[in-house]
Amino acid sequence: MKKSIILFFLILSPIKALALIEVDITRGNLDPLPIAVSPLSIDETSKKGFEKILNKKNIGSEISKVVENNLKTSGLFNPLNKDAFLQAPDIANLKPRFEDWSLIKAQALITGKVNLVDEKLRVEFRLWDVLAGREMMALAFTTVPSNWRRVGHIITDKVYERLTGEKGYFDTRIIYVAEEGPKTRRVKKLAIMDQDGANNKFLTLGNELVLTPRFNPTSQMVTYLSYFRNLPRVYLLDIETGMQEVVGDFPGMTFAPRFSPDGKKIIMSFAKDGNSDIYTMDLENRIVEKITNHPSIDTSPSYSPDGKYICFNSDRSGYQQIYIMKSDGTKVKRISFGKGLYGTPVWSPRGDLIAFTKLHKGKFYIGVMRTDGSGERLLTENFYQEAPSWSPNGRVLIFYRETETNDKGEGFSAKLWSIDLTGYNERLVSTPTDASDPSWSSLLSN
Amino acid sequence: MSRSLVISSFLHLLFIVITALSLPFLAKKPIELPPIVSIELIQITDKTNIPFAPKAKKTIEKIKEEEKKLVSEQAPPKKVKKIKPDSVPMPDDKVKKIEKIKEDKQNPEKIDNEVKQVSEFEKDELFDPNNIAALIDKSKEESGDTTNKTDKITQDQQKNIENAGLTLSEEDALKAQIFGCWSIPLGLPYNENLLVRIKLRLNSDGTVLQSEILDHARMNKPGQGFYKVLAESALRAVKLCQPLRVPTTGYERWKELQLNFDAREMLEG
Amino acid sequence: MKKFSYRNIDQGAIMKLYKILKNAFLISLACLVLSACATSKKTGQMQGDVYTGKETVEYLASGVPDRVFFATNESVLTTASRETLRKQAAWLRKNSKITVVLEGHADERGTREYNLALGERRANAAKDYLMTYGISSDRISVLSYGKERPVDSGSNPLAWSKNRRSVTVKAN
Repeated sequence: MKKSIILFFLILSPIKALALIEVDITRGNLDPLPIAVSPLSIDETSKKGFEKILNKKNIGSEISKVVENNLKTSGLFNPLNKDAFLQAPDIANLKPRFEDWSLIKAQALITGKVNLVDEKLRVEFRLWDVLAGREMMALAFTTVPSNWRRVGHIITDKVYERLTGEKGYFDTRIIYVAEEGPKTRRVKKLAIMDQDGANNKFLTLGNELVLTPRFNPTSQMVTYLSYFRNLPRVYLLDIETGMQEVVGDFPGMTFAPRFSPDGKKIIMSFAKDGNSDIYTMDLENRIVEKITNHPSIDTSPSYSPDGKYICFNSDRSGYQQIYIMKSDGTKVKRISFGKGLYGTPVWSPRGDLIAFTKLHKGKFYIGVMRTDGSGERLLTENFYQEAPSWSPNGRVLIFYRETETNDKGEGFSAKLWSIDLTGYNERLVSTPTDASDPSWSSLLSN
Repeated sequence: MSRSLVISSFLHLLFIVITALSLPFLAKKPIELPPIVSIELIQITDKTNIPFAPKAKKTIEKIKEEEKKLVSEQAPPKKVKKIKPDSVPMPDDKVKKIEKIKEDKQNPEKIDNEVKQVSEFEKDELFDPNNIAALIDKSKEESGDTTNKTDKITQDQQKNIENAGLTLSEEDALKAQIFGCWSIPLGLPYNENLLVRIKLRLNSDGTVLQSEILDHARMNKPGQGFYKVLAESALRAVKLCQPLRVPTTGYERWKELQLNFDAREMLEG
Repeated sequence: MKKFSYRNIDQGAIMKLYKILKNAFLISLACLVLSACATSKKTGQMQGDVYTGKETVEYLASGVPDRVFFATNESVLTTASRETLRKQAAWLRKNSKITVVLEGHADERGTREYNLALGERRANAAKDYLMTYGISSDRISVLSYGKERPVDSGSNPLAWSKNRRSVTVKAN
């Protein structure tokens, strides 16, 4: 017995001596990563060339401003103040002095160069790991000069992907409803802009009420509700050509349209005799299918990214709640069971979550839940907000918020807001007019 | 006869001019290549022509009228496009359409060019940032000359090791320090395994001699792109924290140290 | 001895009951006074949360109100609504050439798409009732505006009650 104990210790002791000390690091800071965005360097001739074409003094620093602003609004990065930069942009792009950059606490560095080549904009940029002292990525782009903002967005997407491990969402657009006028008689127009609010354009004149525009998967088409000639119907708009057409031949109001993930169908609600059910229409052969058949309000349908399921809201339980079903309309299952009303479910592009609007005790919430209804998380609370739309990487939601008016009914406004899944990074998305019903496009490049 | 001569001489001249113009261009190009190691050329398409409101308005009116003419009770399958080709909205649009077709034709060539260019650059590559094996080799190389010396010391002093592991307060000090240095990448998928184990060899003053990612095979697995991001963030944390707050005594105990970075707790909460 | 004690207990119980009743009376009185104040200010034009006032109402003809009001998230017609619709039906029977659009509306406290459906449901409730009084469905069309066209831009229960409505509009 004694022997065996001794033996045991003999065996154990060398292991003990060799055993590696392990320390578990389970916490870190969630502070945004300090990053230095050095202005893209530019030679004098290119500079003058671009000044002529684009009427911008220094296109290199303009592009880097776009990148900087994108990184900042993501909430994941902290772009450092340029005044503190010690190295000139052109030299930094060749070989950064990493000590200088780590001195100002930068952990990553973006450098680059802009050229005018054959009337085209050529931009190269590099991403550096300051602490490891090495290059992480180097890319070059060529495009027409007028695309310079998109270059900034694409650079941000590449940097974001390299540093976070997931796709970016910056080279994207938002389609929304621009609003003006008093609350009782609002004029609404379709409008489109870049994700950062630049390049805003109106797509309709505002003669008729338009609502709920949504992109197709390639972001070339939009489906929306128009009250053209006082007949509320779902329309289709080709953004490139400006052509519009009614979807289907329904003898009543069609609304709440969305594209299927393959872009071949439109799913929407059709209201008949006080009952709204969900229908799909195939855009190629125009075949209409009735998906739900229930004497309740079934609306706000949204496909899962694989197209196999549909989530929607229905008041079949007596109150508005969220349900999922197979895409043929079978196996309907209620998934929202929390207190309050639930609406506008939207399936995340990653497939794992459903974003929704919740109304409880006079407050509106934007939240997410898993697709089985578990793990409900409310991200933001307000007087009125609804209609979340996912960024293409499934990390950020854009929605609209309306203000409470005073006793005289004044002070109404509607604005777009974005919030990421952590619930901390909430931001106003600035628009030239009041805005509602935002829909986020897919990534425009690749 | 003379006519054909003229044509032939003209064509010859044209040929000479073209070669004269393109030859110097071809000759210069390789010299002008940017001194970049690995670069990927990306062509951004020029499609940004969003129509303005008036145009859209006119279109909708036209379509509506077209529709009115088509008295149809039941949706016939043939009604895929409700507009006649000649009633396509504006003259501007026609031009744009033609341009677009041209572009489409050019596209395959463009792509070819891209591929070629990319592969050319690849040949010159000295270091592929995506190659993790290289990364790890590098971090191994980082271990300086001092390693040999410390190795000798370890063998001599091994007998003195009585008590492996850090005391609670020693561990806490180290943890607290690294917590402050580690910027957790916020974009990580919260429903994945987010553990990165890093093995360190330390100098007695707490500076890092060598760092090694233990599960580096995982980095090259498909769908684990985030792991590389996570591992890099952990390495950055170690670098940023140097010198590590190690105990003042018992170097032999902690000259080798394993840090298990796990982001899950932070990202779930 | 026993009897006396019983009596004593009885008396105590009665006293207690009296006290409770007195308190309850006082409380309910206070409540009444308070609620009277409240209703006279805000909910005097509402029954439950259905608008009963006349402020926004217009008339199709003398004595024929153009709109009916609904409770939150409801499309059930109240007694008052049915009376209004019967007047409209009588007026429509008299003027057989008139066609109407029933415009259904919801308040702003719901999601846009659901409210479109709710407005449609409300307008149809009115339509169905008109039809039971002999108005042909050919003469009635239905149009839902959801929360898009409020009459009162306030953010309070009274404003919302005015906006939950179905309005009969002459179409020709």
